[in-house]
Amino acid sequence: MKIIGWGLPALFGALGLIFPLSAAAEWQVNLGPGVTEISRAVYDLHMTIFWVCVAIGAVVFGVMLYSIVHHRKSRGAKAHNFHENTLVEIIWTVVPFVILVGMAVPATATLIKMYDQSEAELDIQVTGYQWKWRYQYLGEDIDFFSSLSTPREQISNDETKGEHYLLEVDNAMVIPAGKKVRLLLTANDVIHSWWVPDLAVKKDAIPGFINEAWTIAPEPGIYRGQCAELCGKDHGFMPIVVDVRSEEDFNQWLVEMKQAKAQASDAATKNWTLAELMAKGEEVYNRACAACHQPNGEGIPGAFPALKGSPMMVGDPAAHIDVVLNGKSGTAMQAFRDQLSAVELAAVITYERNAWGNTTGDLVSPAQINTLKQ
Amino acid sequence: MSDKPNLLQMFLSVLAACFGVQSSHNRERDFAAGHTWAWMLLGLVVMGLFVVFVIALVSWALSLAGA
Repeated sequence: MKIIGWGLPALFGALGLIFPLSAAAEWQVNLGPGVTEISRAVYDLHMTIFWVCVAIGAVVFGVMLYSIVHHRKSRGAKAHNFHENTLVEIIWTVVPFVILVGMAVPATATLIKMYDQSEAELDIQVTGYQWKWRYQYLGEDIDFFSSLSTPREQISNDETKGEHYLLEVDNAMVIPAGKKVRLLLTANDVIHSWWVPDLAVKKDAIPGFINEAWTIAPEPGIYRGQCAELCGKDHGFMPIVVDVRSEEDFNQWLVEMKQAKAQASDAATKNWTLAELMAKGEEVYNRACAACHQPNGEGIPGAFPALKGSPMMVGDPAAHIDVVLNGKSGTAMQAFRDQLSAVELAAVITYERNAWGNTTGDLVSPAQINTLKQ
Repeated sequence: MSDKPNLLQMFLSVLAACFGVQSSHNRERDFAAGHTWAWMLLGLVVMGLFVVFVIALVSWALSLAGA
């Protein structure tokens, strides 16, 4: 039997393909079960459909291999000539139909649960920006931006990469455990997608459009995700961190956030020195501006203009302040009016006018910015 | 070969047409005899039944989901 010559290696090859499946979960190749009721339902559906596909594959390839082996003929054999087999045709039409309906029924049940936005206890508006997220807690007067906090040195391989490399932010979205939280997703510039696998939430954030999603995280913990819609140069640098806290800790956080807001407002009325603003401005610049204009202020030719020696940086401060506050239409320059506090705006503008050899000596005060913001 | 199909055979032929599978023997029989309007009427009836079937299937799926 010639078949033995290649049949056995083929059999072992097939076993080799099947064997690693048991180890897939350890390698994190497979979808994770997540932490919420919905994420587990999604995982169960995924595994059910996966095994249905495996069974179909085994049957189809089994019949194919059997046919190849069993009906093989020597060279010169005359093939049978027949037109149809109605029974077989009916079977191969009915069986996929039944399988598809069988998969659609449980999938529909899960989808309907996923779209049930009713009875949320907390509403958070999530807005995607190039390349950060903004969280506004509706009815709570809490509004902040969440940006990547991985140090630039790790990104440029000058330092060892941390445990949560590119999956860490300065301000996480904080939600209470066990409460239904509704997310209202939109975007400010291009389409983004808010994706946290452990919560089984992945929803597009589209400019001019509000999508809804919800989650109930049963246990406190930190859950990480990323933007899942290619949104430009730093698409891979706008992670999501959800900090789930007990109800008590969440309420405490709300109080702290409101106190911090009051303190920021006090800081804006303080008299800042040039040195203080330069120190603060460098920190803000590296966090909010350096991704485009580069840490050395030289920008990226053809894409993002240099600030070092730029006529705008060393000329009339009013034009400089206007661009930072209101952005520049038709370019990637965003309006930072809402993204940064008055102190941060004053500091970063002061820094840009006095760093990298820009020596205007200009000091832009937070009070000046506050007047313009109103 | 050219015997006229009865109502049950016509019904099965319409189902076979919806399904996309029919034997050559039955197809030749159906084309050899019968009235066009009878096939069209039966086709409309079967489509109506299909719509009712889909509505029932979706209602069942929704009831499973508790909606």
